[in-house]
Amino acid sequence: MAPRTTTKPISRRRLLRGALALGGLGLLSACAPAAPPAGKPSEGKPAAQAPAKTGQAYAGTSLKMMMVGHAYGQGLTEKLPELEQKTGIKVEIDQLAFPVLNQRADLELSSGSGAYDVLQLIFIRSGRWITAGWAEPLNTFIDDANLTDKGELALDDFLAGAMAPFKRGDTIYALPWLADSTVVGYRTDIYEKAGFAKFPETYGALQEAAAKIHSPETAAFVTSDNLHWIWPNWLISHGGSFFANPPDDLRPTFDTPEAIQAAEMFGTLVSKYAPPGSPKIDTGLAQTSMHQGKAASYLDGLGNTQQIINTEKTQLADKMAFTNTPSGPKGHFPQLAVHGFMINKASKKKQAAWELVKWAAGKDTMLWNALNQGHLAGTRASMLNNPEVKQKFTWRGSDLPMLHQSVMERAGSGYMAYRTVPQFPPIGDRVIIALQTIASGQATPADAMKALQKDAESMLEKEGVKIR
Amino acid sequence: MVRPHRPPLARTIRRGLVLALVAILILIVLFPFYWLVQMSFKTEREAFQMPPQIVFVPTLQNYVSVLQGKFVRALGNSAITATTTTVLSLLLGVPAAYALSRARFGSDWAISLWMLATRMAPPIAFGIPFFLIYKNLELIDTLHGLIIIYLTFNLSLVIWTMRTFFDGLPVSLEEAAYIDGAGVFETFLRVTLPLSTPGLATTAIFCFLLSWNDFFYSLILARSDALTAPVAIVNFMNYESWEYGKISAGGTLIMLPVVVFSLAVKKYLVSGLTAGAIKG
Repeated sequence: MAPRTTTKPISRRRLLRGALALGGLGLLSACAPAAPPAGKPSEGKPAAQAPAKTGQAYAGTSLKMMMVGHAYGQGLTEKLPELEQKTGIKVEIDQLAFPVLNQRADLELSSGSGAYDVLQLIFIRSGRWITAGWAEPLNTFIDDANLTDKGELALDDFLAGAMAPFKRGDTIYALPWLADSTVVGYRTDIYEKAGFAKFPETYGALQEAAAKIHSPETAAFVTSDNLHWIWPNWLISHGGSFFANPPDDLRPTFDTPEAIQAAEMFGTLVSKYAPPGSPKIDTGLAQTSMHQGKAASYLDGLGNTQQIINTEKTQLADKMAFTNTPSGPKGHFPQLAVHGFMINKASKKKQAAWELVKWAAGKDTMLWNALNQGHLAGTRASMLNNPEVKQKFTWRGSDLPMLHQSVMERAGSGYMAYRTVPQFPPIGDRVIIALQTIASGQATPADAMKALQKDAESMLEKEGVKIR
Repeated sequence: MVRPHRPPLARTIRRGLVLALVAILILIVLFPFYWLVQMSFKTEREAFQMPPQIVFVPTLQNYVSVLQGKFVRALGNSAITATTTTVLSLLLGVPAAYALSRARFGSDWAISLWMLATRMAPPIAFGIPFFLIYKNLELIDTLHGLIIIYLTFNLSLVIWTMRTFFDGLPVSLEEAAYIDGAGVFETFLRVTLPLSTPGLATTAIFCFLLSWNDFFYSLILARSDALTAPVAIVNFMNYESWEYGKISAGGTLIMLPVVVFSLAVKKYLVSGLTAGAIKG
């Protein structure tokens, strides 16, 4: 008979003790203090601020800056040794994709984090950020002769349309470095072949031309999926608007006949005469459509539209030209999105940050970026009127600097105010949904705009806006 | 004379159809990977050329550009966080799973269920609380901060997967070890763990993948020092144009370690995934 074996019981205590012992080892190594990476600025501990205006007055100060991934930022990174030599400031620039920037900047600012000293003041968030007090007013620095040489700063050199979004009365919250103006890039050969000596000057004429030009191989028109930025070209030109009278009267006005007509025209263009997938084609694919000859015209911001003549990406550059966006029955209202450099209110190194902002949006820096980084969508008149810039950016008879400057001057009249009200971002997202619904045929323009109106009212009421 | 057995024609045709279907499915599944890899060796102009060039002179320019920038550091950060998280998750989770599998107490299922709490809501629900806590603890933009977060959701995976695995192992083997004088630790280390190798490999791969591919927490909790590759690659989407060449080269580099790791443990992975499949 086999000996009877007794199973050794595993007590709960023994098991848990064993598990804890093993787990504890791992936990200890996970929580071991990690050495801070070299060069990382210590959050919340301000560097000593030396008096300004002497050579290398900020030696030992390091700053962090957050901005969108852009040729301008690459240019700044390349030129940083110049700033360091002049002031002693070391700068680390984080360049992020635009959606990432939007999310992260909002999070950093709303949590009062001073990790970033200088941030890109995003156009459509400027109202919210300034109202919330997250952007440091710059007047204190501008008016201090020890900190600013006003002649060198040349505030008057910034075009009115570029400066307007960052001013509240006389208070300035950011210096603009990027002004994206909507323009059209198009294939002259295709339009000429169809009998158009130049690009249509009205949205009605564009629709007629599109019907004639469009083919399965080459779409007549393409634009990016950022529809709350593209559609207002149609909307305002047809007499419509987002709000009754922004920023004072924010009653939404999406169900007006003008808005419905603008939505119908835009919806028809992107559903019938644009490449498959429209209007959900992103910027990169819209540009690629032009590069590959799959689209005959492209309406977008200048910085994006300019890319269609990038000879590293296309063999068709010598068939492209640029012109103004068309007009509507109520006139010509091209869009303008401006981005600036602001100082984080929570930064502990504001004086040094001002040195960085001044330099980054300075005359010399902007001109250098135009000539060396291809950044034409700048904000200073001196840069746009520079003869070298004129020569570099005049393409097959299209004077891009003049085109850009005319939009900035026009936008200075104030019709872009709808875009900088604090409540714009969520409303803008809802507008995109409405336009996609129209383009995909899920709803008529009238129904989609009425639904948008209802939702916009509800969203604004929740934000405390008096609608009725 | 015995005639060789030949399968009926219908069966041969059926087998041929199945093989063709499998081949088509494999092509469909692998095509995006092929597209990504071949694009990484093309110039921007060639990348979207129609009809696409099947034969082309490959260029390493995209890889050179990617490896000269901050992406290498991000790739290193991904490797450190994913590897450390995987090791720690196994160190902490496997004993816990074993304890829950073998111990007899009333609330073991309740404990297991609560361990899933971190996965009961989408990550975005935890995003803001984690950010605020991390800000106060000065853990933002640190590798150990990311590792701790990844542990929170990897541990539940390890515990649930390994518990099921341990449940499938015969207790009698451990009892035999006890008879021979082994203690709980020794039994666990010398008997149970070696028998669990397929399960451990499978769990390790999934832990590694979850951490390696994480986008959300890296986006929220890392700035530049601890930025990981999935977020870094998005930053090739410039404001004015997208750098498709760099995106595809970066994508290939992100994919490569996972493919190599998966191939290395393929044998264990297959047996790990099928373990218990025929258990009544």
